[in-house]
Amino acid sequence: MTVLLEMKERLKLIYSKSDVFIVPIAKFLLAFIIFNTLNSRMGYMALLDDMGIVLIAALACSFLPLGAIVLLGAVFSLMHMYALSLEVALVGLCVYLIMYLLFFRFSPKDSLVVAVTPLLCALKIPYVIPIAVGLLCAPSSAVSVGCGVAVYYLLQLVSESAPNIRTMGEEEALAKIRMLVESLLANKAMLVIIAAFAITVLTVYLIRRMSVNYAWTIAMIAGTMVNIVVLLVGDLYYDINLAVGSVLLGSLLAIVVAKVIEFFRFCVDYSRTEKVQFEDDEYYYYVKAVPKMAVPMQTRTVKRINSQRTREAEADTGEGSAYAVGSGRQGSRTVTTERSVSAGNSRQSGRTVITERVASGGNVRQSGGNGSAQRGGQSGNGRQGVRTSASERTAPGRSGVRNTGRTQGRSVTIGRTVDLQEDFDEDEWP
Amino acid sequence: MLSEERIILMTRMASYEQGEGRKNVKIGNYFRSDYITVQVLKAVVCAIVAFLIMFGLYVLCNYEELMKKLYNIDELLVLAKDVLTYFCVMVGGYGVLTYIICTWKYVSAKKSLKCYYHNLKKLGSMYNER
Repeated sequence: MTVLLEMKERLKLIYSKSDVFIVPIAKFLLAFIIFNTLNSRMGYMALLDDMGIVLIAALACSFLPLGAIVLLGAVFSLMHMYALSLEVALVGLCVYLIMYLLFFRFSPKDSLVVAVTPLLCALKIPYVIPIAVGLLCAPSSAVSVGCGVAVYYLLQLVSESAPNIRTMGEEEALAKIRMLVESLLANKAMLVIIAAFAITVLTVYLIRRMSVNYAWTIAMIAGTMVNIVVLLVGDLYYDINLAVGSVLLGSLLAIVVAKVIEFFRFCVDYSRTEKVQFEDDEYYYYVKAVPKMAVPMQTRTVKRINSQRTREAEADTGEGSAYAVGSGRQGSRTVTTERSVSAGNSRQSGRTVITERVASGGNVRQSGGNGSAQRGGQSGNGRQGVRTSASERTAPGRSGVRNTGRTQGRSVTIGRTVDLQEDFDEDEWP
Repeated sequence: MLSEERIILMTRMASYEQGEGRKNVKIGNYFRSDYITVQVLKAVVCAIVAFLIMFGLYVLCNYEELMKKLYNIDELLVLAKDVLTYFCVMVGGYGVLTYIICTWKYVSAKKSLKCYYHNLKKLGSMYNER
């Protein structure tokens, strides 16, 4: 578990450092997959079924808001429908407009859900969506999931009806529209799946918001079971020819994905749950605090030992000096590293230790006018070490323990190194 | 001297202002009745447009049948009554739904803004304590 938590922290760090690149790349990939899937499944317009166009559109989506993927996806699908038949495009446009006007305006920020749902339906893994949306989004996102499912079935209907539509002449325009609209409204599988997904989203959302232990795990399992039950009942009532095996496998996959989401989003340690009760003038408070699982990141400090500077320092100390104490930059780095090791893993404790050492360093500097070679060379940690060493550097002819700054360790206080460097101004020293 | 508590508070508030807070501040600028009225009006317009689209599709699907009904005044009246009923149910129902959702949105936005202003006051008092 510790390894996983460390990996999570590392991933978080990578994301926070390079989200400027990661987000556009992710958007680009998503848009590319969506447009490519659309082209491979419909592909009636030869002009759009071109890798160059797909790449340009995906590239545009990478720096536009997420809604652009939905918009361009809708434009792509409408153009393919138009290439098939004007009437089909008209029906598609009407369906999109109705969705936008009636449903999508309540949850405009769910573009990702609307874009991903048809894609996952096409990839035959749609059961991940309601569980993930229930865990991560608001209950109103059920509407977006429903819209996504409706879009998938519309596109599927167009693909399936394409041979029939092609055989129909232009004089049968009304017949084409009637066929599409009636097929869409009579599609019981679509209605059952929309209902099942909406109920699942609400169930998962309600359970994961409860203050019981392992609420997220209970929510995802309960949601999966509700989903399966509603789908099976719908299959019994409407005879939608549901493949039970794929439903069960898809649901298992949904639980696995949900566990991954839980690990990244809601990783808590229920064994350390604390329940406290207190009151103020107006309320009684019953508080349950569940600590998050977290492992502090360990970062390595790379030291560079400048041999030239060391030689200069040696020259400064005179002939009889055995001191090539890490002077200037080098010295401060060595000191920081050693201190960090002694401070432990916690960033907070590292800071505390630094503060104490800074306070004591001043004293050493004042009292160390003569320079205690032995002390400075051996300690070499904290600010104290730096200043003592520096004062010793100016005291010629003294012997002591040589500090080459080779100490290796892990540092959590890189920022402090800068402070020490700033403080360590050679002009300050006599 | 840097105050860690103050920095945490400021960071949280800045994050709120840039995300959810922006939307809530917009909502908070309205009186409750004004906000809900505007939203319900928008919803009614959207519902009317959506109804017209649906009716258009219905007309296209049942064009021949409707043409026959046009020459029979009784059937036409029945059709008009049905259409009007559906129109009222849809637009009215959508308006009521929007009213409920917008009331809830307004209340939660106000609650959130109250918390934000409380934090703002707390931040001000932290600066005064210096």
